[in-house]
Amino acid sequence: MENLCIEQTKSTPTIQFDIVNNKLRIEGQSYPENAFKFYEPIFNWLDQYLTEIDKETVLEIYFHMPYINTSSSKCIMMLLEKMENAYQEGRKVAIEWYYNHEDEAALECAEEFKEDLMLPFELIVLDDDE
Amino acid sequence: MSKVTSDQNIMYDGSTMKVVSFACIIIVLAVVFTGSISYFITRNAVVDKLKSRDLVYIIESATAKIDGRIARARETSLLLARDSAVNEWVLSGEKNEQLGKYAKDKLTDMAQSYDYVNSFIVSVVTGNYWAEEGRLLQRMSEDNADDYWFYETLKSDKAVSLNIDYNIGRDNTYVFLNALIGDLKHPSGIAGVGLSLADIAKEFTEYKFGESSALWLVDGNGKIHLADSVEQNGKNLNDFMPAAVADQIIADTNSQQTQPQILEYVNAAGETVDLAYKRTESTDWKVVLQIKRSESIAVLKTIKMNTAIASLIAVLMITLVFYLVSRRIANPLKRALLLTQKMEQQVKARTSELAESNEKIMDSIEYARLLQESILPTSEELEDVLGFYFVLWRPRDIVGGDFFWVRRVSEEKSLVALVDCTGHGVPGAFMTMAVNSALKHIVEQNHTEPAQILSELNLQMKQILHRNHQQSFRDDGLDIAICAIEGHSRLSFAGAKLSLYVRRDQEIHTIPGDHKSIGYKASPETLTFTSQSWDIEAGDQFYLVTDGYIDQNGGKKNYSFGKKNFTTEILAQQEAVACQAAHFETVLRNYMADESQRDDITLLGFSIR
Repeated sequence: MENLCIEQTKSTPTIQFDIVNNKLRIEGQSYPENAFKFYEPIFNWLDQYLTEIDKETVLEIYFHMPYINTSSSKCIMMLLEKMENAYQEGRKVAIEWYYNHEDEAALECAEEFKEDLMLPFELIVLDDDE
Repeated sequence: MSKVTSDQNIMYDGSTMKVVSFACIIIVLAVVFTGSISYFITRNAVVDKLKSRDLVYIIESATAKIDGRIARARETSLLLARDSAVNEWVLSGEKNEQLGKYAKDKLTDMAQSYDYVNSFIVSVVTGNYWAEEGRLLQRMSEDNADDYWFYETLKSDKAVSLNIDYNIGRDNTYVFLNALIGDLKHPSGIAGVGLSLADIAKEFTEYKFGESSALWLVDGNGKIHLADSVEQNGKNLNDFMPAAVADQIIADTNSQQTQPQILEYVNAAGETVDLAYKRTESTDWKVVLQIKRSESIAVLKTIKMNTAIASLIAVLMITLVFYLVSRRIANPLKRALLLTQKMEQQVKARTSELAESNEKIMDSIEYARLLQESILPTSEELEDVLGFYFVLWRPRDIVGGDFFWVRRVSEEKSLVALVDCTGHGVPGAFMTMAVNSALKHIVEQNHTEPAQILSELNLQMKQILHRNHQQSFRDDGLDIAICAIEGHSRLSFAGAKLSLYVRRDQEIHTIPGDHKSIGYKASPETLTFTSQSWDIEAGDQFYLVTDGYIDQNGGKKNYSFGKKNFTTEILAQQEAVACQAAHFETVLRNYMADESQRDDITLLGFSIR
């Protein structure tokens, strides 16, 4: 199993899944033409990863996505559901979701995601200067 | 670029030849310059050597030869005159037979053995002149002018006197060395030898220096007694050089000079002539040597020729080298240029291909837009259902997944919907066509309640989109807001992820839709929606908007426009609904600034009549 790293583009986020420190990071806007094509390898990676890690592993997941278009948000929802399932199975999964102060759309979006989930989901505001 | 430059122009641009020509000119100048310098240096050296050494050497040799010959003759004369036997014989009045034989033998021996034309003993006692071979030639007489030399010599008190006699008949000059016999005060006679200058002439010719050189022995009057060319004998210096030069030589009587005098003059033909002369030690005669400058420096012609040949060879070699080098150097450049040109042409060709195929696609999409526009309600239909209204329909890619829809169900009831299908562009447009048919179908089945319509739509879209249960990650669906307007008094709303915004005076009422999307795999077939009711008052303004407007990024921090800004803008409207389109468009455009449109955007505003 190797780390998953995907470079950021204008319409896709940075993906940094670090298996050594068990930290998953998704940062950036997401509005690719074909969201499923972009997220499919990420789903596959996550599926395999979740089967390989042992139960005690603390998995930290970091999101910072100022804009997610409709089809990307479906994919993000699917990612979150995979994590939710892992959590339901007893794994230690925690999500930190960052959003910029004043970016109410991003906050609303995050809140919508949070609504359907049971796993720890922390909303953290970033100062605009950061 | 108007025209493609031809290969020829690149391959044969003039710059290479210009460089080569320039280099050749420089080199020719350099070779000619150095050649000229070496020519002048060599010429000066040659002339200098000629004047300081060659001419001096020849003139000194020739002079020494003459002086040596005369000195030897002087000694011979002295030997003869100082012989006591000869003196006794003369004093005896040539009576003593024994002494006479000795003296006559000696005379003969002198002339024959030592190469003199003449030897003689003249007695004062008898006046007899004994010549070579012991002949008695004549008797001296004071009356005879030819014998004048004899009496003058006797009075000279000098042991040896030199007498030069030019014989017209023989065309020859004779030099006589006359030695006094016995006491110098009272000599008993004169003995001596005579030598012919013609004898020296042979040696003179050995000094022939060049074709134009001339070596002369001249007397105090400039008369040539001896020349390396026999025909010049008896002529005068004046015949061979300007009178002024000849006079200068003749007038130079400084007997102290031991060094040859060197001078040069230009003759009547304009040629430079170098000249050297020296006075002999034994006589006031001078040896004169002259030669044309052109002949002395004839060797330089070879240098000239060699320089010219060297220049020519150098130029040829350099031209060749430069040509080869410049070809080697210039070739990669030329190739690069050619390559660039070819690539430019290819890029042009590709670009035009792309432009062509782009044009085709654009034509196709433009046509698709016509089709998509055809499912949109006409302004008459909109006006009929909505009364006053405005609509902004901005698909991101000409066509898109957004569309709006109205339907009059009955006299009292009509429907208005705003739909945002997943995807943009052509895929989105396909979805809208399907949703449009589904809505039509649902209404035709007498489903006219908003919540009911959405449930039906979910069911039908799932059937359409996922009927063959593909395992692919494709998962499509739609967000929708739908209102049923009943008369002018009541509006019922149901939404799937989309909300209804109502402005009443200075307040915004947001009527949120359900948090459920339609048609996705995750949307269960049993999905139900809630209808919410709104009692319409005069002046109520209703807004339906897809997330494209609210999520559009821009502003200073490049955030999404946001719901708050949107509701603020609704409240900021001063004009009637029908006139608000331009305002919302301007607000959006200003917020976007240079950012591109993220999503399809549709905004529908209306106020029931």
